[in-house]
Amino acid sequence: MTAVTLPESSETKRQRRSLGHTKRPSTILTVAALAAAAYFLLPLFWLFVSSTKTTGDLFSTFGLWFAGDFSLFGNISRTLTQEDGVFLQWMGNTLLYAVTAAGGGALLAALAGYGFAKYRFKANRMMFLGVLGAIMVPATALAIPTYLVFSEMGLAGTRWAIILPSLVNPFGLFLMRIYTESAVPDSLIEAARIDGAGEFRIFFQVVLRLLAPGFVTVLLFTLVATWNNYFLPLIMLNDPKLFPITVGLARWQGQAAAGGGATGDLIPLVITGSLLSIIPLVIAFLFLQRYWQSGLVTGSIKQ
Amino acid sequence: MTMTTTLDKRSAATGGRPDAKRRFKPNRSATGYLFVAPFMIVFIALFLVPLVYAAYFSLFREQLVGGNAFVGLDNYARAFGDAALGEGIVRMALYFFIQVPFMLLVALFLALVLDSGLIRLTRTVRLAAFVPYAVPGVIATLMWGFLYGPDYGPLTQVAEGLGLTPPDFLSSDLMLGSLANIVFWEFTGYNMVILYAALRAVPTELYEAAAMDGASPFRIAWNIKIPLLRPALMLTLIFSIIGSFQLFNEPNLLQGLAPDVINSSYTPNLYAFNLAFVGQEYNYAAAVSFVLGAVILAGSYLFILLTNRRSRS
Amino acid sequence: MTVRFSRRAAAKGLTAAAVSPLALTACGNRRPEHPTDLSQSDIDKAMDTPTEISYWTWTPGIEREVAMFEEAYPAIKVNVVNAGQGGGHYAKLRTALRAGDAPDAAQIEFYMIPSFAITDDLVDLRPYGADAIADKFADFAWGKVLGENGEVWAMPQDAGPMGMLYREDILSEHGIEVPQTWDAFAEAAAAMREADPEVYLTNLLPGDGQFFDSLLWQAGADVFAGSEGTTVRIDATSEAAEQVVGYWSELARQDLVSVDPGFNDQWYQAFNRGKYATWVAPAWAPTFLATAAESTSGNWRVASMPQWEADAPPVTSIWGGSTSSVMATTENPIPAAVFVQFLNSDPDSAFAMATEQFLFPTTKAVLQNPDFTGQEPDFYGGQTVNQVFADISETYLPDFTWSPFQSQVYADYGNTVSAAFTQRGDAVAALADWESRITEYALNQGFTVEGS
Repeated sequence: MTAVTLPESSETKRQRRSLGHTKRPSTILTVAALAAAAYFLLPLFWLFVSSTKTTGDLFSTFGLWFAGDFSLFGNISRTLTQEDGVFLQWMGNTLLYAVTAAGGGALLAALAGYGFAKYRFKANRMMFLGVLGAIMVPATALAIPTYLVFSEMGLAGTRWAIILPSLVNPFGLFLMRIYTESAVPDSLIEAARIDGAGEFRIFFQVVLRLLAPGFVTVLLFTLVATWNNYFLPLIMLNDPKLFPITVGLARWQGQAAAGGGATGDLIPLVITGSLLSIIPLVIAFLFLQRYWQSGLVTGSIKQ
Repeated sequence: MTMTTTLDKRSAATGGRPDAKRRFKPNRSATGYLFVAPFMIVFIALFLVPLVYAAYFSLFREQLVGGNAFVGLDNYARAFGDAALGEGIVRMALYFFIQVPFMLLVALFLALVLDSGLIRLTRTVRLAAFVPYAVPGVIATLMWGFLYGPDYGPLTQVAEGLGLTPPDFLSSDLMLGSLANIVFWEFTGYNMVILYAALRAVPTELYEAAAMDGASPFRIAWNIKIPLLRPALMLTLIFSIIGSFQLFNEPNLLQGLAPDVINSSYTPNLYAFNLAFVGQEYNYAAAVSFVLGAVILAGSYLFILLTNRRSRS
Repeated sequence: MTVRFSRRAAAKGLTAAAVSPLALTACGNRRPEHPTDLSQSDIDKAMDTPTEISYWTWTPGIEREVAMFEEAYPAIKVNVVNAGQGGGHYAKLRTALRAGDAPDAAQIEFYMIPSFAITDDLVDLRPYGADAIADKFADFAWGKVLGENGEVWAMPQDAGPMGMLYREDILSEHGIEVPQTWDAFAEAAAAMREADPEVYLTNLLPGDGQFFDSLLWQAGADVFAGSEGTTVRIDATSEAAEQVVGYWSELARQDLVSVDPGFNDQWYQAFNRGKYATWVAPAWAPTFLATAAESTSGNWRVASMPQWEADAPPVTSIWGGSTSSVMATTENPIPAAVFVQFLNSDPDSAFAMATEQFLFPTTKAVLQNPDFTGQEPDFYGGQTVNQVFADISETYLPDFTWSPFQSQVYADYGNTVSAAFTQRGDAVAALADWESRITEYALNQGFTVEGS
């Protein structure tokens, strides 16, 4: 029943869309779905409203509507200039971590997924299961042993401590293996072999193209996971110049909530910074939405 | 880790994959190793080595007074008799049974509705539901924390404006629900997209005939589409089990809003963290993490066993 | 480059896998021997040798004071790192100490000094001339950086002698006098509820162990009095402790004070909207409140903390404040020690911290400086707030002891006494539970425990 999803699914999709047009939209369902949409957007609306307020208004006006003063732009410029523009540095770091981890992570997952799916070797199953088993142990409280090992490798306190672990994405591996099984026919590989192509040439010139949608999917999921990574950089990094945005904002938040000195004023920065930090991801989704859906199409049905 | 074993078995049983394909695996094991090597090397160096080291670490006990000593499985023995850990695990099991079915049902509902073409503004709804996944958990919790505020939170103020008694979202009765809501908000869209994408891949012929015969969209959804979604649902469920029992960020951040409700052992992961960084009982914290990992493994295994049995019968 | 790097990392990782946790731990505990006796010329020589040291601090804008140090000692370069604060800061510091990656010097709060001293993570500053500058500091601060055997574990940076902030407008509107004693405070709390059910006289911050400490401290309830080295004495059920807890428990049960957790948005909102008429708070609170409750500017005033004894001389305690200490893992103890001493005792540096970072000073010079004490902030209607707190600081009670695992003590407080406050239950009974939890923990960590 699941043997349906070879890449021609875009064809079927088009057929189905035309089928959909013939149906009459249901008002009840539309209202229900819009209510759900409103629920999902509510906190974001709050975030936007709050980032237009001054500290004083933030704590003295109704949370879900605008106050008299519209200080969004003032807040943005304060956020961007606080501590000599460290916010932009955090954004840049996050971008660097997320993009390298996503690109590298997707490539590693694709290579390994293909290897697990198409080659028979002794430790195949054991290694595959080992990866899935390892993510079941929560890593939070293991920060000390992990840090000691990382420190021993000379990674602690460097960008590599964030980038390298993010390259390993078990969910991505899982997806890529399944995807390869459905999207890459063995006959194609065999034909390439008969033509005398080497194994890696086959992968990079023939297979990778077929895997593109799955690749983009893993890319996006890794991008989001790294973008939102909090605990690993919190423990691994000491230098604020290397912080990603999540740790940086949490530090401002902590500073705002602690006594001693004039720090209450940081709260609007945390809020405005939060708003700014999610915009790139939303744009990435909109931009990659098409690929990313077709990638999941073949991936998830086939498990 | 049994997940794939069973999944493979499943697809084999349902004839999902031709056996011929399975047999075709050229005996080029060296090349196979080369393909998986980059991933496995990073995995081994940065995940497995720290994990193995942590496991070794959990066999010691280092005290503030008296130094470090090998204690064998003492830490594990202590974990099995630890009421705080037990309570946390039970609480997370309860949380799992409240949160996950609801989340997956809504995700399924949204996916079916979007797929059915029965509503307007499909793209808007799909994007709105998915955007929360792009919001870091830290920020999501911050936002909901503001919204939950018992005196001046917007939800409370709206309720009061309407003359209703506002619920105290941060009270001990509602806290688990409030946490569930945050996670629900973050991950429903994500699960919805996985299910939706799976649905888009189902060829229309499978239910066009049923539609011709006059079956209602609801019947089609129930009898044809949902059974087809089983593998995708399985995947989302396993990852939800892991996510539920490892819950940390949300309670950790909400602690500041309700310190008496979210105590230091509210969730097992929070407990392990506090053992390590508040109490400096690093070795015991590592043991607790592994016990928790074992619970998750057992839970996933049990779950797969149950669904497998049902699908066979 | 990436490839080469990760290959090397992987190879090293495999090597690391082979070594035992003892080896790894040992590498973290590899502590350089620090001198116990130094001449001035040793110090001068080290200060003229080009050296880089690192300092972890959460004080915003500290670069200004660091620059003063670098001007005085051009050979030394200080890398300031803001690695966070509170629990996150200590978690990172502990981790880095283990791995041998810790900074040369770090900011830590007063209450954490015994916790870092017990793990041998601090350098005794006496050989570096700390004793010579002792009399620059006010007693209330200096007394709290000393170890059991007279070690100087840190340099005081800022402190928080307790007083009380109050809404002048609200109290006078309802004809309530500023309470001088806790008895009067309880009466005022009832009067306030009667006069305006929307307002509480004060909020009892649950979950905040340091605030709770300050209440115990003022009443003379010194829970860990007599603890020494690896012997911990715990007396959480003394008469004084029961008096304090019984008092607040009763107010909470009768709903005469609110029990809202602090330092979050609801709490700021409550200040802005006039839910609390007073805040029993330390010397750093005035500046803090001025930004957090901007909309109430001009309505606040400052007074002494209410007293238990009406006729005895007034006494106060301390909440918060921090110090700079030198980490035992440092390879550069001399520059690090001279740095933390300069930072906190140099007149210009200390003055700048009080007037630029708005930290409440710990040096006598700044506490007596009219440019500091004479400030008249509008938020407090032009009252000389700093003068009031400088006077209050003279009345502090010296005797209060922190345990060598104070964050655990606060966590246990949160699970017992604090929870009873919030649930308006029997907090006095919870004291025994608190004590037994602390005892169990201390025994687990290998301490000898002596009861009351």
